Amino acid sequence: MAASKTGMKIKTKLRFLPTVGPISIWIVLFVFAPVAVIVFISFLATGPAGGILPKFSVENYRFLLFGESEYGRAVLRSILYAFVTNMACLFVGFPMAYWISKYGGKFKALFLFLVIVPSWSCYIVRIYALKQLVGYPGILNDFLLSIGLISSPINILYTPAAVVLGLIYIWLPFMVLPIFASLEGINPALLEASLDLGATPRWQFLTVTLPLTKGGIFGGTILTFIPALGDWLVPLLIGGNRVWMAGNLIEHFLVVRGKIAMASSMAVILTAAVVLLIYMFIKLGGEESMERIV
Amino acid sequence: MKVLNARKINSLFTIVGYLFIWGPIVVLGIFSFNASAYGVKWEALTLKWYVDLFHTPAILKAVLRSLLIASITTIIATVIGTLAGYGLYKYKFFGRRALRMSVLLPITVPYVIMAGALLVYFTRIVHIPLGYLAIIIAHISFSAPLAVFVTLGRMQRINWSLEEASLDLGANTVTTWRKVTIPLLLPAIFASAVLIFPWSFNDFTVTYFVAGVGTTTLPLYLFSMLEYSLKPVLINAISLIFIIMPIFLIFLIYLYKGGFKQKT
Repeated sequence: MAASKTGMKIKTKLRFLPTVGPISIWIVLFVFAPVAVIVFISFLATGPAGGILPKFSVENYRFLLFGESEYGRAVLRSILYAFVTNMACLFVGFPMAYWISKYGGKFKALFLFLVIVPSWSCYIVRIYALKQLVGYPGILNDFLLSIGLISSPINILYTPAAVVLGLIYIWLPFMVLPIFASLEGINPALLEASLDLGATPRWQFLTVTLPLTKGGIFGGTILTFIPALGDWLVPLLIGGNRVWMAGNLIEHFLVVRGKIAMASSMAVILTAAVVLLIYMFIKLGGEESMERIV
Repeated sequence: MKVLNARKINSLFTIVGYLFIWGPIVVLGIFSFNASAYGVKWEALTLKWYVDLFHTPAILKAVLRSLLIASITTIIATVIGTLAGYGLYKYKFFGRRALRMSVLLPITVPYVIMAGALLVYFTRIVHIPLGYLAIIIAHISFSAPLAVFVTLGRMQRINWSLEEASLDLGANTVTTWRKVTIPLLLPAIFASAVLIFPWSFNDFTVTYFVAGVGTTTLPLYLFSMLEYSLKPVLINAISLIFIIMPIFLIFLIYLYKGGFKQKT
């Protein structure tokens, strides 16, 4: 009797296993293990033919960060571009979220959908659409030429500005959502109270609305800064081969050159940067920024 | 007066934002009906690119491959993810917080890192051949977390006393799952599937790294067309399909949500 009771107890205690078991196994096998493998490989030496030598070495890291300046520069460039992208997304995304929340009325859901829908379509297609519109030969150029606004075509493709424009275009929707959720979560009583206590609308916005959307802003920052930092398709397709970012280095070493150890080191550097940034954003934005991203 | 100005500026930013998001896609869609194959100048209205699309076996094959991969991914990832979301919400166990954070990992770290790691892992360590199996495994790793968080988000709104009632009234665990829990979870399952299917269908980065030779999905095919600048207008026609699909799916959610509200 007692034995069966403890048996029952263990059974109830282990009831969570069939539910979270599969995903735990999956994550260990196909997320943690691959990451552990590349961390390990990143500390191995690269052979003359690009293969891995079974020898501990930090040479890859030294080479990437301080060796050929082009690679170190790509890392710094990624951080700069991601920062500019993030700021631009905030600059446009915040007013959009604010407008939808304040003036959307019963069409709020529709306006929000209109922001999300493009981000659900294929990434390549969106980059191509932008390229076709602003590139040369391109539709916008053609139009401006034909109405005589410009006398010679402007080619912005393959420039850093075009890459940043592409990054903003791709990641903007992800800034709007968390901020919108944050704005919707503000207790209207607080806004009324601030007006009753004599705040002007502008003062109210700066001292009440903005601080209360901090979580959304940092949530949105995680969702735009991080993917922009790791982006490799926008620099590849819009920047040609002239504007490389950190993600391109991973692809280049891994797929084109077959230097696995070098690619692994690059991936570890980028992951470290990502983890550090996420930690920083969550510290700055509080727990809410964590909730807003999922 | 000041308020009006602020509102005007706000509206202006919003309009610019929407134009920026939609402009390129709308233009792309319009130009898919353009008769000129290479130019960006408008010539005449035509549907021939759409007809061409159906006469290019490579494209049809790529579409079928993408559909197959997305379907299998959706089924497995939705099941694993929904179960995990349910477990994470219902049970308190050791490592619960750690698991939640771990699930977040594949979707917060840039795809290129995880995809590269999987490529090395598949080819050097576990020897899973690149192709369908590798793509599906990789896709599940990235999309099951989506289902976890969709489910977690919906768990709070579900009336769990029904489940307890079923157990109290003598139904065993399996029956309760079948008759009560799964029906309660159905909206979450549906929402997860609707999110995962287009994700898998549209994914480029992850597929690119683990596809190997011979499993060209539609996004990979598009990429190669773009790289070698083959028939640009044909790409417009394919592109429109990529844009229509999410809109169609969102429309489905809309209908489903509306239907669901009426029932309760």
